[in-house]
Amino acid sequence: MASGKAVTGSLKLVSVLDLNEASVLHGQLSSMRGKDLSIDASGVDRVGVQCVQVLMAAANAWEEDKKKFVFETVSDAFRKTMQLIGINIDHLLAKEIQQ
Amino acid sequence: MDMNEIKEIFFQECEEQLAELESGLLKLNDGDRDPETVNAVFRAVHSIKGGAGAFGLDDLVSFAHVFETTLDCVRSNKLEPTQDVLKVMLRSADVLADLVSASRDGGSVEESRTRGLLKELEALARGEMPTGGGAAEAPKPAPAKAAAPAPVPAAAPAPAPTDESGFQPIPFTFDGFGADEPAEDLSVFEVSFKPRRDLYAKGNEAALLLRDLSRVGEMSINCDMDQLPAFDKMDPEGAYFSWTIQVKTAKSEQDIRTVFEFAEWDCDLDVKVADSSAEELPMVPVPFDLSILDDGTSDADGDDGGAAEAAAQAVAAAETATNVTKMAAAAARVEKKESQAAAAAAAAAANAANAANAANSAGQTIRVDLDRVDRLINLVGELVINQAMLSQSVIENDTTGTSSINMGLEELQQLTREIQDSVMAIRAQPVKPVFQRMSRIVREVADMVGKSIRLVTEGENTEVDKTVIDKLAEPLTHMIRNAVDHGIESPERREAAGKNPEGTVKLTAKHRSGRIVIELSDDGAGINREKVKQKAIDKDLIPADSNLTDEEIDNLIFMPGFSTADKISDISGRGVGMDVVKRSIQALGGRISISSRPGNGSTFTMSLPLTLAVLDGMVVTVAGQTLVVPLTAIVETLQPEASAIHSFGANQRLISIRNSFCPLVDVGRILNFRSIQANPVEGVALLVESEGGGQRALMVDAIQGQRQVVIKSLEANYTHVPGIAAATILGDGRVALILDVDAVVAASRGQSLRQDSGMKADMSLAATG
Repeated sequence: MASGKAVTGSLKLVSVLDLNEASVLHGQLSSMRGKDLSIDASGVDRVGVQCVQVLMAAANAWEEDKKKFVFETVSDAFRKTMQLIGINIDHLLAKEIQQ
Repeated sequence: MDMNEIKEIFFQECEEQLAELESGLLKLNDGDRDPETVNAVFRAVHSIKGGAGAFGLDDLVSFAHVFETTLDCVRSNKLEPTQDVLKVMLRSADVLADLVSASRDGGSVEESRTRGLLKELEALARGEMPTGGGAAEAPKPAPAKAAAPAPVPAAAPAPAPTDESGFQPIPFTFDGFGADEPAEDLSVFEVSFKPRRDLYAKGNEAALLLRDLSRVGEMSINCDMDQLPAFDKMDPEGAYFSWTIQVKTAKSEQDIRTVFEFAEWDCDLDVKVADSSAEELPMVPVPFDLSILDDGTSDADGDDGGAAEAAAQAVAAAETATNVTKMAAAAARVEKKESQAAAAAAAAAANAANAANAANSAGQTIRVDLDRVDRLINLVGELVINQAMLSQSVIENDTTGTSSINMGLEELQQLTREIQDSVMAIRAQPVKPVFQRMSRIVREVADMVGKSIRLVTEGENTEVDKTVIDKLAEPLTHMIRNAVDHGIESPERREAAGKNPEGTVKLTAKHRSGRIVIELSDDGAGINREKVKQKAIDKDLIPADSNLTDEEIDNLIFMPGFSTADKISDISGRGVGMDVVKRSIQALGGRISISSRPGNGSTFTMSLPLTLAVLDGMVVTVAGQTLVVPLTAIVETLQPEASAIHSFGANQRLISIRNSFCPLVDVGRILNFRSIQANPVEGVALLVESEGGGQRALMVDAIQGQRQVVIKSLEANYTHVPGIAAATILGDGRVALILDVDAVVAASRGQSLRQDSGMKADMSLAATG
């Protein structure tokens, strides 16, 4: 289960973001709508396409809301999966980790 | 859900797949060339392989894999499914079934058999026809299939190396790519991959498929996110992304398709050689080591990613059954959202359609524990009894007879009967699985005796209670073996008689007046009456000078200890033949008869009750006791006249019915209800047909009526009573005993009542509660 930190507007992703997590993740993100959001993806070992769909839809929604939607840190597995499935998240990465 | 339950579901599904496989192969054997039939057959083997991989059933996986490879050649029209080819395939289906049951129940399958068939299948896949030779002319089958990373454990026999070079996959990373670049020409394939919602619902993961694809060659990818709906309108478990991928590889198109083989039916997939003139999409290259994304399980052997994944997918597939409800709920959700959102129309519509399909198929069947159904049937039985008791007490206490209570009761009675019928229908099953088992027996026995025989089945969807089905297999097997071994002549003899050298055995089922009638006919030589009669005389079964009608001679084969086979074979002729069959059919409350035409074959006709849980019976009074006589046993009832009764010896009496004499049996005496013989003129005679084929007139005091009764086991609730098959509870709450007609008739012949007759044992088994 992904769980929000005590600080509002930040979300630490769980290590396995598979099919079962997609709805959970969607629910968590929905509850954070309207706030700037920073996401910690450093602990992600595995991420499935459905969770990526949720994250990308959320990124679009946050952009529409003109709110910040940033991946503060990402794990190697997360970044590589994104590359593998052909999704560029460079614009969503926090400046300091952009490569 | 623990692993064992999943495994159990897998085996249940295997049963279904095996049935599908066999019926598909038989269709092909009959000349059906519908690609869908070939696909269905392929899918069946494929699913078994996938599931078996998940549970580490290596024997099963390796056999299924080779089988599948050969089937794939048929699917891609590289192998013509001739009769000879199908013979091998049908035998392979049998071995596959054996491997499945060996995996489930323990035990093993004769290795030489498996190995022999594997060789034959591999030869077929190489394009060698089973008749031998011809390999040179035969078209080369799909070279790629076997070269794909197949989930074959190292210890298992290797799949057909259909590629001349015997190419085996090598673990591949992009590290140092270029340094050891193969010398072959590289081709560029364009893959368009659009997963459907089902793909994810079944536990597949597009990312893993793409990872495997990246192993096939150098890959560039473009993800199409246009279908992604707005965040608050999306279904988190939907499928919105689709991909266009370019793969530069020395491998073939088939290798690429193999990556998607477990997801094939749940995605739109197109693989083609890249067209340089095509519209250029911004492709992102994927040139890095993806090993970090590997599952722990596949790290051990890098080239076995397919196996690990297949395993994961199969587990998920097994869980699909449980996910179905979830999917149905999701479907409802999707539809609801759709009505609010016109914007996401296209994506959501496709989604909803998929989900709705899932919901529809979910509505078709559910698996229920048989115990639960039995419990329900039992309770409904109680309800019927209770309702009858209630009606009776109302009738007894209510003298006006016009009250609305009576009307209510009538409606209640109708309802309970409907409920009872519906509940019985739950247990009703088509006879198909039993029939399908028979086709295997025909094949095997025919092979053993060197005959060529076709089994034709009809009416296999005819439904009958599960308990009847379970008990039908054994007598049917016996009869089929007999028909193949004795009934059908050898091909030479058939040809000499001007018949098709291939014999036909026909098995049909149909409903007739509340019973199921199963007919087994062959087009063999028919019964050799001379020989049968002589054999019966030799075995002292009949006196040498008996004068028997043709029909009586035919029925001799049902006599205990009768067998006409000249030599005892493995198949039949051990002298435990048709009498056992007859007894088991009778134990089911059924009858069997034979008709035979010399030179044209024989037909066995069996008539069986549709259920063993209720019984239509005649309620009679004997010495103040209420008994139920199964209606199926009764031929006619009559009121004897004094002139028709004849004394015979000290205690025996005969009744003359239409110029023939029939022994009169006083049920009250036999069951020790009374010590003095009743006066036949004051009672009623029930003419019954008994096991031996002869008729007996059972004497009872009076007939109360005819009704359907719920069978209750005496053994389970009390103890076995000689001459009584089971019990039931009547409307007034009293227990009435169900007469075991055969036991009573046997007792009248001087045999002890204590001798068991099959009837009661089986009826008590079938009885609920």
